[in-house]
Amino acid sequence: MTYWSRRLLGALTVLFFVLTLNFALFRLMPGDPVASLIDPRFSPESKEALRKAYGLDRPQAEQFLLYLKRTVTFDFGLSFISGRPVWQELRNRLPHTVALTGSALALSGLIGTFLGVTAARRRGGLLERATLTAGALSFSFPSFFLQLLLLLLLAVFWPLFPLRGSVSVPAPQGAALIADYLHHLALPVISLVLLSFGSWALYVRNLMVKILGSEPLFLARAKGLPESILLWRHAFRTALPPLLTLVLLSLPGLLSGAVITETVFSLHGVGRFLLESIQGQDYPAAGGAFYLLALVTVASNLLADAAYGMADPRIRFERERRR
Amino acid sequence: MNLLRRWSPWALLLLALAGLIGPRLTGDAEEIVAPPFARPLWLDRSAPPNRHLLLSTKDLEASLDWQWGPPAGFALTGTYRLPEGASARLSWTGPEGSLVLAELTGAGGRFALDGRDIAFRLRLGLSPFQSPLERLFPEPGPYRLRYEGTTPPEELAADLHLSGGRWGLLGTDQRGRDVFRLFLAGIFVSLLIGLAATLLAALLGTTAGLLGGYLGGAVDGALMRLADLLLALPLLPILMVLAGLWGRGLWQLILILGLFSWMGTARTVRALTLSLREAPFVENLRALGAPTWYILGRHLLPEALPVLLATVTLGVPGAILAEAGLAFLGLSDPRLLSWGRMLHEAHSFGAFTAGAWWILLPPGLGIVTVCLAFLDLGRFLEEKADPRLREETP
Repeated sequence: MTYWSRRLLGALTVLFFVLTLNFALFRLMPGDPVASLIDPRFSPESKEALRKAYGLDRPQAEQFLLYLKRTVTFDFGLSFISGRPVWQELRNRLPHTVALTGSALALSGLIGTFLGVTAARRRGGLLERATLTAGALSFSFPSFFLQLLLLLLLAVFWPLFPLRGSVSVPAPQGAALIADYLHHLALPVISLVLLSFGSWALYVRNLMVKILGSEPLFLARAKGLPESILLWRHAFRTALPPLLTLVLLSLPGLLSGAVITETVFSLHGVGRFLLESIQGQDYPAAGGAFYLLALVTVASNLLADAAYGMADPRIRFERERRR
Repeated sequence: MNLLRRWSPWALLLLALAGLIGPRLTGDAEEIVAPPFARPLWLDRSAPPNRHLLLSTKDLEASLDWQWGPPAGFALTGTYRLPEGASARLSWTGPEGSLVLAELTGAGGRFALDGRDIAFRLRLGLSPFQSPLERLFPEPGPYRLRYEGTTPPEELAADLHLSGGRWGLLGTDQRGRDVFRLFLAGIFVSLLIGLAATLLAALLGTTAGLLGGYLGGAVDGALMRLADLLLALPLLPILMVLAGLWGRGLWQLILILGLFSWMGTARTVRALTLSLREAPFVENLRALGAPTWYILGRHLLPEALPVLLATVTLGVPGAILAEAGLAFLGLSDPRLLSWGRMLHEAHSFGAFTAGAWWILLPPGLGIVTVCLAFLDLGRFLEEKADPRLREETP
């Protein structure tokens, strides 16, 4: 099997597992499984009609197939709370979650990589010690605690940033809306970057220290290559594939963090929608949001895999070697 | 002993003792002791003190010299009995004049009024959203609480409690509960859930790792694929759905956390078992006819134990953080007083607009301290299990 088909198969397995888990979780609950899919306030007749329409009177195996078909086409049913299709609610929130996690990942990756490389080049300096401390702290700091502190300092005591929400109420128009949105997004992104740049920098530093001490780099230095080419063209290129693995590994945690971040800052997003659905016992919405979060993880995993495949020459040239 | 020279075992011991003994000494954490968001005693020395003014059948007047701004709480409670046909009132006299606090009518009964009561505010001629304390304490000076009636009462007992808005070591939360007591109560829950969930995960992970590593083949493949699967999914949403659907009690949380954090231990133990499987002494055991469970339990498990101990210790912070996260999201039992729950309530019920940082810092710093302590302890055990690590640490 080639690298690509193996990755694709892996992603599909994860997705199938998520679907099975989602199907089982919402049906193995104590009580009538129908109650988790159809609004309990409906009349008995309409419940019966919906039961037929959703195929809940069929055997479990058939229901599972039906469920697979509906989920793959993003038909999650109607939300108990708003009465609108769950997918409509989710589609409207997904871009906000992607904007939050995407910008946080990009920024912390850039800052962390830069700090890590610099720390590796100047061993024993002040920057290296600061990087090591930041990395160690980021492992034991509960994300919501740091975010609550930032909120208290920068939104209450010294109101630089808004306290809650994705946009002001009432929302401004035109270009002001974008500025307002970014203003609301700034503190959540800053908090996420603060939480993760340390571990990035630590990882990059350890990687670069190892690579800079390796024999090929020793030879390159002996050839008299300039330090900048040595660092970025040779050492950093070698470090790129493991770095992309780090992106891949940090994605599930990042989405978990998004749930908390969106709750702390009351942002409009999939994570807070999941929490509100669970608290409001809105099971179709909770199931849909959970599936979507898992789907985003799997899809970005696949993307990171693709990037890895392109960055690692052993995989890039695999196909040509086979010919 | 090198272990005793570390700070972490002492910190953990101190916290565990405080968590076990503290609540017994300080009293019930759920008790409402002072007005909401009262500041810590040591914080603001210029804030007014807590004072009581008492009236009794013999003492129909009480006065005090108030030298501060308005207090944070004003609560008057008591009982009375009057002779037939009499009428009376309780009055409040200050430098700017007199106010009627309560009309005492009928033969007897009880009275209870509070600065937060809307009816009380309306009777003073204020809007329901205005605090009556400015009206009751317009300026520093002598104040007097007095019984005024046509005849002396047959019986009277009144207690006016003026709260200075300061309480205890760490102030109070949004319901007026003592933050220090809540903090002490939270130690127990955090440590118990962290340790119990990690032990459960270790048990599951060790079993999976030993079986997978020793048996190999399909068992190994299935277990490791399952571990990969769980590692590739966002953990918190899964935990949220499970806590939301299955229950939020102490034991449910432990079970849920344990079931979804065994993967790391399984991988470590499996790697170790794989390296030992082909070792001569294991081969000899097999040749002697030792059953699989005997080799696993009596020989491979003890070999894995030091590494296992370190892995478990390093896993505790994860469980504590996950529990705190769930509780922070409001997905734990409201009766379960934990640090995450405190942060949840601080976030949800207006601690921010009150600027009440004293509710925020203790549970947050508590979580950080416990996590750092377990990490430190884990690193120590790791070095013990594998001395090569000591040179590699930067």
